[in-house]
Amino acid sequence: MISDEQVRRRVTQIMAEEFELEPELLQPDATLYEDLGLDSLDAVDMVVALEKAFGMKMTDEEAVRAVRTLGDLFELVCRLKNQQAAKE
Amino acid sequence: MKAEVVVIGSGISGLTAAASLTKRNRQVVIVERNQKPGGALKHFVRKGIPFDVGFHYSGCLGSGGILRVLWEYLGVWSHLRVHPFPSEGNDSLILRNSEKSVQAFFSYERLEDELQQAFPNEAEGIATYLKALRDICASIPFYNLDLSLTPFLRAPLSSAKIGLAPFLTSLTKDPDLQAVLASPAFLYGVPPRQAGLAVHAMVAHAFISGAYAIDGGGQAIVDAFLATLAEAGVDILTGQEVESVLVKENQVAGVKTSEGEIYASHVIYTGHPTSLLDLVPDGIFRKAFYNRIRNLINTDSMFVVFGAVDDPGSLDDLTWVNHYAIPSGLDILDVNLKYPEESALLMTAPGRRYSDSALSDAQRGIILMRPASWDEVAPFSVDSGKARPASYKRWKAQSADRLLDQAKKLWGYSRIEPLAIGSPLTFRDKLGVPGGAVYGVQHCLNQYNPGARTRLSGLWLSGQGTLMTGIVGASLSGLVTAGEIEGLEPLWDEVRQCR
Ligand SMILES: Cc1cc2nc3c(=O)[nH]c(=O)nc-3n(C[C@H](O)[C@H](O)[C@H](O)COP(=O)(O)OP(=O)(O)OC[C@H]3O[C@@H](n4cnc5c(N)ncnc54)[C@H](O)[C@@H]3O)c2cc1C
Repeated sequence: MISDEQVRRRVTQIMAEEFELEPELLQPDATLYEDLGLDSLDAVDMVVALEKAFGMKMTDEEAVRAVRTLGDLFELVCRLKNQQAAKE
Repeated sequence: MKAEVVVIGSGISGLTAAASLTKRNRQVVIVERNQKPGGALKHFVRKGIPFDVGFHYSGCLGSGGILRVLWEYLGVWSHLRVHPFPSEGNDSLILRNSEKSVQAFFSYERLEDELQQAFPNEAEGIATYLKALRDICASIPFYNLDLSLTPFLRAPLSSAKIGLAPFLTSLTKDPDLQAVLASPAFLYGVPPRQAGLAVHAMVAHAFISGAYAIDGGGQAIVDAFLATLAEAGVDILTGQEVESVLVKENQVAGVKTSEGEIYASHVIYTGHPTSLLDLVPDGIFRKAFYNRIRNLINTDSMFVVFGAVDDPGSLDDLTWVNHYAIPSGLDILDVNLKYPEESALLMTAPGRRYSDSALSDAQRGIILMRPASWDEVAPFSVDSGKARPASYKRWKAQSADRLLDQAKKLWGYSRIEPLAIGSPLTFRDKLGVPGGAVYGVQHCLNQYNPGARTRLSGLWLSGQGTLMTGIVGASLSGLVTAGEIEGLEPLWDEVRQCR
């Protein structure tokens, strides 16, 4: 199983690559919409990219919509990853 | 050339978007790659017989039905003669494994009676299924015109995550009943194991609420739109392919076609979403969007025989009955079978339903179709426009023979003369969709279809790959895209006034 730290690194890498963002911008307190310049349309692309990278489904829209910062996103992906591992 | 809005594609979605925008006094130009407008709805003629391609029957055309309301709003309804299937009309389903036969009527009451007679121990499951369809559609604005549009478009339905397969298997263990309840999947192209209950409900509910035929078929719909658009002064440039979308300062500036440039501040693209990626300059979309769109799962294709009989009277049984053969269980759209014609197939004669005597030749036409996979034709695939190998012709003729053989075995039709054949290769080249995907991108579980809005200001998407597939789905996608430009609720209010 991959550790939370590995998940964080992978999420950062995906955001940098898929949204062509400068890695130094990708701090946990960076807000997706203001600091990173994503919009509601990018949110779907982000979900699709993360689902593919981690082989899991992010079907809880409420939880996805509640994500404001990159730190929130780390937390959500870690939580889903751990839930998935618990099921297996 | 200049316009306010350029619509790329003249299928039903593009025609609907254009007509909706002209209602709001926008100046619109449509650009179509093919020589004739209409996309999947235009017919072709062999030996004097016009054949429908992408339209056999539709729902939502009764009083208060969304397609009728929309067509009234756009001014095309008065050009069309629409006939409801009579109460005896149905989709007659033969279950291949048990040889049981079930009439799927276009009425909730009659369907429930019929299903209960055919499956006497399953009354509860049947009732639960039918109630689920109605309940889901009651929360969808296109079926419940009192609802506003925006909430539905911006957030998924609570039922969107429910899979069709687990739902059906929870209702009944009878594989024949499962197959019957899953059979509307044929009309949106998603295998039941990948399908969601909500999309299934939209399609099934539309037909169970009433099926309709139109004199002249899909071509008559196209012609009605062309008449309305001509009155509104819309130019339709056919035989021109849009080669790129022009962008200036992160804003759409128009399109470059095979014949020149058209300047416009809005561009609506209605083709397959994947092909859009080649039309937009690098750096506009992010990699995440490219990857998402490139990885969209498509529907499979179809293999279709367009044939004729000498005596149209011999097709009497087919006038208001579509004959389906389906496998038991949830395999209705399985492809990659050794003998695909022994699985699901449809025999229909849309021309028999035309009332116009001027269209009498159409009454001799008969269409046989079955799901088909791209892999069947992959060995013969050459680029569009190039001569296909002789082996392809042989394969096509043999496949057609086997399909005709099935029509004889199942329904006793032995005198069908094949006049044309559509394979996944044909559909790829004629409709311009990858893999000949007849219903475009799948509307399936766990797939996020693109919406109308894009990151590029002034660039909009529409068509069966976006909101929903089929005549109804693609039409509504055209309306929704026009609504995104004009303001969704004001346009929706105008449309609803026509109910
Ligand atoms: C065999 C078959 C049977 C069907 N049966 C039914 C049925 O009975 N009932 C039902 O409801 N639905 C049916 N459908 C589905 C229905 O026909 C489609 O969902 C609908 O017509 C799609 O409309 P559209 O406008 O999205 O796409 P299309 O009709 O494919 O239109 C897109 C248009 O865009 C043009 N285009 C694309 N890219 C460019 C470019 N770069 N430049 C210029 N032009 C471009 C294409 O040439 C095409 O004309 C069937 C489909 C098929 C193929």
